[in-house]
Amino acid sequence: MFFRMIIGAFRRQWKKMLMIALTVALGASIATAMLNVMLDVGDKINEELKAYGSNITVVPNSQAVMSDLYDVEEDEKKDEYLAEETLGEFLTIFWANNITDFAPVLDTVVTVDGNEVQLIGTWFDHHFEFKKKGTVYQRDTGIINLRSWWDITDGEWLDEAKLSGDDYAMIGKKLSETLGVKAGDKIKVKGAKGTEELEITGIFESGDDEENCIFTPLSAAQRISGAEGKYKKAEVSAITSPDDELAVKAARNPDLLSGDEYDLWYCTAYVSSICFQIQEAIPDASARAVRQIADSEGKILEKTELLMALITLMSLIGATLGISNLVTSSVMERSAELALMKAVGAKNGQITLLVLTEIILTAVVGAAAGYFMGYGFAQVIGQSVFSSAIEMSGMVAFLVTVLIIAVTLVGSIPAVRMILRLRPSEVLHGGH
Amino acid sequence: MNKKHRMFVRMVLASLIRRRSRMIVALLAVVVGATILSGLGLIYYDVPRQMSAQFRSYGANVIFTPSGDSYITDDEIKKAVSVFPSDKLEGYTPYRYENSKLNNLPVTLAGTDFSSVLKTSPYWHISGELPDGNGKTLVGKKLAEKFGFSTGDSFSMLNSFQVTDDTDLSVIPDYEIYTDPQTGEKYCDHMLDLSLSGILETGGPEEEYIYVTLDDLSALMRSDRGCDLAEVSVAAREEELKGYLDDINNGSGNLTAKPVKRVTASESTVLSKLESLVLIVTAVVLALTMICVATTMMAVIAERRREIGLRKALGALDSSIILEFLSEGLVLGAVGGITGSLLGYLFANTVSMNVFSSAITFRPLLIPVAIIVSVAVTGLACLIPIRSAVDVDPALVLKGE
Repeated sequence: MFFRMIIGAFRRQWKKMLMIALTVALGASIATAMLNVMLDVGDKINEELKAYGSNITVVPNSQAVMSDLYDVEEDEKKDEYLAEETLGEFLTIFWANNITDFAPVLDTVVTVDGNEVQLIGTWFDHHFEFKKKGTVYQRDTGIINLRSWWDITDGEWLDEAKLSGDDYAMIGKKLSETLGVKAGDKIKVKGAKGTEELEITGIFESGDDEENCIFTPLSAAQRISGAEGKYKKAEVSAITSPDDELAVKAARNPDLLSGDEYDLWYCTAYVSSICFQIQEAIPDASARAVRQIADSEGKILEKTELLMALITLMSLIGATLGISNLVTSSVMERSAELALMKAVGAKNGQITLLVLTEIILTAVVGAAAGYFMGYGFAQVIGQSVFSSAIEMSGMVAFLVTVLIIAVTLVGSIPAVRMILRLRPSEVLHGGH
Repeated sequence: MNKKHRMFVRMVLASLIRRRSRMIVALLAVVVGATILSGLGLIYYDVPRQMSAQFRSYGANVIFTPSGDSYITDDEIKKAVSVFPSDKLEGYTPYRYENSKLNNLPVTLAGTDFSSVLKTSPYWHISGELPDGNGKTLVGKKLAEKFGFSTGDSFSMLNSFQVTDDTDLSVIPDYEIYTDPQTGEKYCDHMLDLSLSGILETGGPEEEYIYVTLDDLSALMRSDRGCDLAEVSVAAREEELKGYLDDINNGSGNLTAKPVKRVTASESTVLSKLESLVLIVTAVVLALTMICVATTMMAVIAERRREIGLRKALGALDSSIILEFLSEGLVLGAVGGITGSLLGYLFANTVSMNVFSSAITFRPLLIPVAIIVSVAVTGLACLIPIRSAVDVDPALVLKGE
């Protein structure tokens, strides 16, 4: 009898039930889309923040203090290097998948047309393969992603895969003006170990000191400077978690952490734990966080996540109020029908059970439809903003189900209370 | 007011008052919709400004350098920064670099203004304290490791220079003169005593410098030649910034203002993503919420089919029934819109205070927009069920079919 009544209710009132299901579906889709976007926004923004370039630099352990950038008079400057083979170790650390890009840097001073110029050997868009213990690691990486702010004003990016040989260079705009050269021209550079003729593939504008430099593939720079198989510094761009208390504590001295804290720290993608793992993998190297990038990333991420969380909260409140509202009004509307049931002897409990079952069934159907709609909306947001899919979390499906059932039940409370108060004679008579 | 109008007003009011619980449901729906509309609207409009301020944690986005081979003076910097609106200027820091020696090893000394340095380099990690005056110094971590310095240590910087008859030694507090035995030239060793307030960690080249005040550096070098560069942090987007920089570069002769491309270009990439994120989220949530409001309104109205049928049976015109229901919707939309826009403002402000620790800018224009949208959605949502109710034969409606 119970089932017949429920099936009957759906058949007779399918329009109303459809309306409830539709509203529940809309609410559920808001909840699904917003929760998924909120959970994934950190990763997405983190990827965008990679535009600022590397957040970790790796240098030889005992690199002489006086070096790069400022021309300090050097008496006994001895350059220190890292071996090129160590570059592969970046791909073997625990958080290797969080390293989005890395590139070696080998700088040396060369003479071009009588001008002293800094020449930097690096990877542009390098296909890198590394074999260790039978595993082959490979990655396409280089400064093309670590210098997103460069404007190529003439020519194009140096394409290592397409060009044969390595006698190519990209030069800064200022230097190109000093030398009076353009893309396609050849320049003669004289280094410590020889002279080479390099063809300029592109001229870039960077707004900093690099505009006075020549960039060549690493192998060319190694030949010119005589540092075969070596590099001086590596720039690493990694997706990291914002620093918290544990990270600050670990940054002072990882040895002071308790066992559990150490494990948690090691297995969280803090910039300090990634640096630590790089140093573990390459004992000769010292990896340091570039504070300007690492700290700011943390702040921006934190703010964005909090903002999205609050917007999500607001939409959830809106969605739940909308659903419970509709449930309340649709049950109230049936007062005449319910009063009739009471009049023919139905007990309060039975009527409540009947109403709740109907509503919950409708809500579940709506929620299921809403989940898939929400999936669609989340992907629309992901594709149109970040041009990549939003990862769907299984937790969200669970949360949305629980939320919708809870909201529907809560929304039914005023209606159920009304049913319990109903006096059949009054209702059937038409007085409200 | 004639009788007909008075009756109309009474009917609208009576229906709102008598059917209290239903009206509360409907009103609540409208309020929720309007709250979300105005709340998200305010956030959407304010996010770029607030986020732009957050991006200042990347530090300076403009650098002043001398145009020629000379140096820039304090007055020139002040004049140039006056181009930026004061509420957009986060801070500016002058830097002067000199080569010197410490224990006979070459080091770079940087003179700066410690009071503003954290405005243009908020990412500096200082263990110890930032120097608060002359005679105190901040030493880069690598340099400190090399010399074995720790916070609280004292050391002296030495500047040797040749003394001729014209040299004015009165400006130097303590010095020692000695004569080169081979050439007979006189030299003066000028000492600057410094106490180490803090050690600087940045992960960049700053870790190899010794930072002192500009006054100390001028005293040590015996000249106040001006600065090599100044870092400026301005809360402005790339395009806007370009306008200011053009003004500076066209106005003053001795100073070139350049954007730090790494910071400005990346900022506009990330900010534009963030903006479009908030925009599309707002659009999706708003659209869904409005449909939600509409379905609730439809349910509330559909319930009154009997009433409509009864009125038609009593001889009411279709148009007057529609007008009455629409007026109810209008009242609901207006009341809900006003309440919702205030609640939305409160919500947006709470969000802003929590996330950005600053109040949200109130935009009065959003109130009429929220009201108009609420009225429009309510009106539309009413119209559909009323039309279907009006079209039906009253006898059928009253019978309950």
